[in-house]
Amino acid sequence: MSNATLPTRPINPTSPTSPGGSERTRATGTTPTRAASPTNPVTIVRAVAKAMWVTLVNLFRKPITVHYPDQERTYPDRYRGLLALVYEKDTGEEACIGCRLCEYVCPPAVIKVEMLKSEKRNYAKSFSLELYACEFCELCVQVCPTDAIVMMKSFDLATADRREMLLDKDRLHAIGLQYQQSWATGNLLRAMQGPPKMARAEEHAKPAGSDA
Amino acid sequence: MTAALPSWLVALIGPFIVLNAVIGMVTYVTLLERKFAARMQSRIGPYRVGPHGLLQPIADALKLMMKEDIVPRTADRRVYNLAPIVFLIPCMLIFATIPFAPGLGVADLNIGILFFLAVSSMEIVGLFMAGWGSNNKYALLSAMRAVNQIISYDLPFIFAALVPVLLAGSLKLSDIASAQAGLWFAFYPVIGQLAFVFFIVSTLAAENRVPFDILEAESELVAGFRVEYSGMKFALIQLGEYAHIIGSSFLGAVLFLGAWAGPGPEWLGPLWLLLKAMFLFLLITWVRWSFVRIRVDQILTLSWKVLMPATLLLLISTAIVVVWRAGV
Repeated sequence: MSNATLPTRPINPTSPTSPGGSERTRATGTTPTRAASPTNPVTIVRAVAKAMWVTLVNLFRKPITVHYPDQERTYPDRYRGLLALVYEKDTGEEACIGCRLCEYVCPPAVIKVEMLKSEKRNYAKSFSLELYACEFCELCVQVCPTDAIVMMKSFDLATADRREMLLDKDRLHAIGLQYQQSWATGNLLRAMQGPPKMARAEEHAKPAGSDA
Repeated sequence: MTAALPSWLVALIGPFIVLNAVIGMVTYVTLLERKFAARMQSRIGPYRVGPHGLLQPIADALKLMMKEDIVPRTADRRVYNLAPIVFLIPCMLIFATIPFAPGLGVADLNIGILFFLAVSSMEIVGLFMAGWGSNNKYALLSAMRAVNQIISYDLPFIFAALVPVLLAGSLKLSDIASAQAGLWFAFYPVIGQLAFVFFIVSTLAAENRVPFDILEAESELVAGFRVEYSGMKFALIQLGEYAHIIGSSFLGAVLFLGAWAGPGPEWLGPLWLLLKAMFLFLLITWVRWSFVRIRVDQILTLSWKVLMPATLLLLISTAIVVVWRAGV
């Protein structure tokens, strides 16, 4: 590679072909003498005044601090916080049917569900969620056919013991009652998406078939 | 009552009160600084310990007292252990000559300001002992930078502080204070303002405050000369540093801001002095949060090429003005 293809800034300052020959660098021992050089007293005074003004203006601004445990800021509607299980609104039964879809979809595999077969509908015999490894991706909420698992508008589960983050079914239900529920549920999320793949395939197949 | 006490005990009462007042003030000035700094950054600062964080300094002090006291194995033990005390003593001694009100002070020497300037530079001995005794590269580098900086900035500091001395015609701090009864020296045309600005800048540098804090330089020297100190020794060094800053603020208030002069009855004098000193302290803090640290060579350039000639010229012109006005 020749010097001509390099950018205008020379690698070797002593190179005779350097295009910036008149502009001396720091390494050569002479400082550039420009009007706005940092040693110009006017520049310094102006910079000092500007800096002090910025901090002075800030001094009289209202602090943005939120006193967290006493006072919480409003969470957005689609906040992805703690996971919880909810009860059905009309019957008051547990909404989870133990279908294990969330267990299958969970990327870090933190959900474990056992199904309890019953006459009218199925239930979850056990439901455990290892919140310490959860990545809050909301996929379990998206796939849930009965809107049983949802997210809460809170992250308030700090603890000194990691084992307390292994949430069982009772704990998840308790969290569901304790905090405010986020907007997203499985059915609402699916309604936002396009039609199911099968329907789209049929739609696609019709004009293709007519052409052939 | 006082007649019954032995005279040496009577002589110790004043210093005892001042010493404790200074320690108490230092404790609470840290809170003031933290609150002030927080507001500049749109924060609130200490808030949880006591109402509005008012008990935070006490909690901090208790924490420091209960901390383990570690001496590095390779440290020079005698120097290491002695350094905080050597550092603290001059920082406390500077309060001796401050007149808090007419006739109220520990020792109103007739060379008060000279004593102040001499003793305030003594802290560098303790500082260098701390840096040397720690046997730590960061501490040593920091101590060397500190010596370098204090040698550079003490001269402008002294020259700037001598301007009010010339204007008042006395080295006694109470005389300087009472000479400002009509006009504070900070408002003395041109000379006063220039001297005040130079005084503030060289105070900043002599106290090793931002933007002249190359010896603390958290990002390169971790915490400077006190990096190896913990527990009570660390607390002593911090106490000394803040006492020194507050002492300089008091000096600035006495020299330039008319000391105890202010509206209201005479017994409000010490309060006015305190308020003025706190104003200067907040000014220093304000500067701290407005600027970034500047390079070693820039610091030295500012001292030797700008402040030194400027303050010297100012001192000479002040002398001329004083002589000329006395002649008229």
